[in-house]
Amino acid sequence: MANNNSPTVLIVDDEKGLRTGTQRLLEDEGYKVDAAANGSEGVSKGTAKDYDLAIIDLKMPDMNGLEVLAEIKKANPNTVCFIATAFASYENAIESTRLGAYSYIPKPFTPDELLHNLQKGYNQRVLLLESERLKKESEENLLEIANERSRLSTVIKLIDDGVLVINKLGELVYLNSASLKNLNIDKLEIGTYVLDKLPEEVSGLINKHLNRQDKKQKSYSKQIEIIPKELFIEAMTSPVPNPDGNFAGVVVVIRNITELKKIELIKSQFVSMVAHELKTPIVAVQGFLNIINDKSLDVPPEKQTEYIDRSIVRLKSLIALVNDLLDISRMELKTKQREIEDLDIKEVITSIVQFLEIELKKRELTVKTDYEDGLKILKADRNEITRLFTNILSNAIKYNVDNGSINIKVFQSEHYLITEISDTGIGLKPEEKEKLFHEFYRAKNEKTRGISGTGLGLTIVKQIVDTYHGKIEVESAFGVGTTFKIYLPINKIN
Amino acid sequence: MSISGKVKKILVIDDDVDLLEQNKIMMESKGFDVITAESGKEGYEKFLETKPDTVIVDLMMEENDTGFVLCHKIKKTDHGKQIPVFILTSATYDTGFKFDSKTDEEKEWIKCDGILNKPVVLDELINKIENFVEA
Repeated sequence: MANNNSPTVLIVDDEKGLRTGTQRLLEDEGYKVDAAANGSEGVSKGTAKDYDLAIIDLKMPDMNGLEVLAEIKKANPNTVCFIATAFASYENAIESTRLGAYSYIPKPFTPDELLHNLQKGYNQRVLLLESERLKKESEENLLEIANERSRLSTVIKLIDDGVLVINKLGELVYLNSASLKNLNIDKLEIGTYVLDKLPEEVSGLINKHLNRQDKKQKSYSKQIEIIPKELFIEAMTSPVPNPDGNFAGVVVVIRNITELKKIELIKSQFVSMVAHELKTPIVAVQGFLNIINDKSLDVPPEKQTEYIDRSIVRLKSLIALVNDLLDISRMELKTKQREIEDLDIKEVITSIVQFLEIELKKRELTVKTDYEDGLKILKADRNEITRLFTNILSNAIKYNVDNGSINIKVFQSEHYLITEISDTGIGLKPEEKEKLFHEFYRAKNEKTRGISGTGLGLTIVKQIVDTYHGKIEVESAFGVGTTFKIYLPINKIN
Repeated sequence: MSISGKVKKILVIDDDVDLLEQNKIMMESKGFDVITAESGKEGYEKFLETKPDTVIVDLMMEENDTGFVLCHKIKKTDHGKQIPVFILTSATYDTGFKFDSKTDEEKEWIKCDGILNKPVVLDELINKIENFVEA
């Protein structure tokens, strides 16, 4: 028996000589052998461990071998048991078989007889174990399939996408509740013809499948507007084959894409606004160049120079616009790498004011600053914070009156560092204030004519403030001035 | 000049002073008398005052729809009804602004006689004026 897993054998026999002789013989043959000297020891060993094989003496002083057999079989039904006896009788044979013995070994037996029997018994044991394993496996598989099915049906019931299954005749076979919601239909009955109850476009897709019931079918999809509800759906249909591969019906997935559509609309509006804003300066420059180029117009040289200068101004504003747009898209994509450092707001604002000095002098504006003592450190990206306050301060210059002033006041509350920037400028009308942070919005009135800008400065300000979870407030009176209040959160650790 | 003698005086309203000046030069070179205005308000005043033969209004001035509002006002006047009024814009047709009047209802709301894209192509303008005069 050259086997890595040596078969285990229990010998139950009160006859010591036979017991030890058999044990030695079997161990020589590669079996792992335990022995029990009486019936009760046999029961306790044979029930405690699932032996491959057991050889049980029929007649023992304390217990009948058949009782031992019954106990062992009860505990370990796959242990292959042999009944060994010198008192071979027909009745005993029948009874032992009834109790689950595999075979009957008459005493005395030759070693060859025993080994032959055990080998057969061991083969039986292997078959028993294998069949039990297969049985268990198949039970587990069935359980798994049942679980899988209920899991799948739960998933389909709970997903936001509507799922409908339609058979070859256009009758509804399955639906989940999301399909009714997404189609804005109250009720669809299983087993009835439903193509006349579905939106025309959806039925159209289904009919494409039903009309050509062949094996090679494609999937279709279509975006559909459900009119009274401002609902946008995407319907996707795919053929469902039978197990034999023939066309059985159509599965329809209905997805609500209303939010996506809204975002798409905002995006396309933004793109067309951008296109419009980019086109205007280009048209202006092209117009000047055409006029200079048109010999028939005979433009005097000093006018030509003026038109070139005006073209340069338009091109500068175009570049500023493109730069603003790039900033916005970088911030929106969040690909911008922020370098968060400790910032002293006083130092940041002072350097911005220095940077804007030429503009301030041109308009003869005075800047007054007032910093509260003990201002906390701001943890932020220097470029972003500088951009934020530069945009607001340059507005305060552009929309100010000559000889006016700009007041900068910085103080703090429990959670925020608050910067207040007021100008003595032209102010905003209430309806203008509302639109102030809109992309490309620029207040246009009798006083703002001639002030240039991209219309994106405050959009960028708002974006930066939002990035740092701050907030911005505007107070303004037309003809008096505007005050921006910027709240930036203070890191509590400081 | 091939254009009907009826159209001589054009009022152009645009808050972009560069474009306004360019259009004035180009149109004058074709023999039109050009009056300019830089806002919707000024444009309406000049319309009443000068009674032009054609008006060209930039769409987005003080407000995004200043051109429409002005068009509407001009077209309500007796003189406005007689003459072609065009909207001028660099926005394209798919901007989401509803000025490509397709239905009668939309045409009723937008009283202009045509849309001109920036930059103004003079031949196109003259064509449009001629079509209006002939109709």
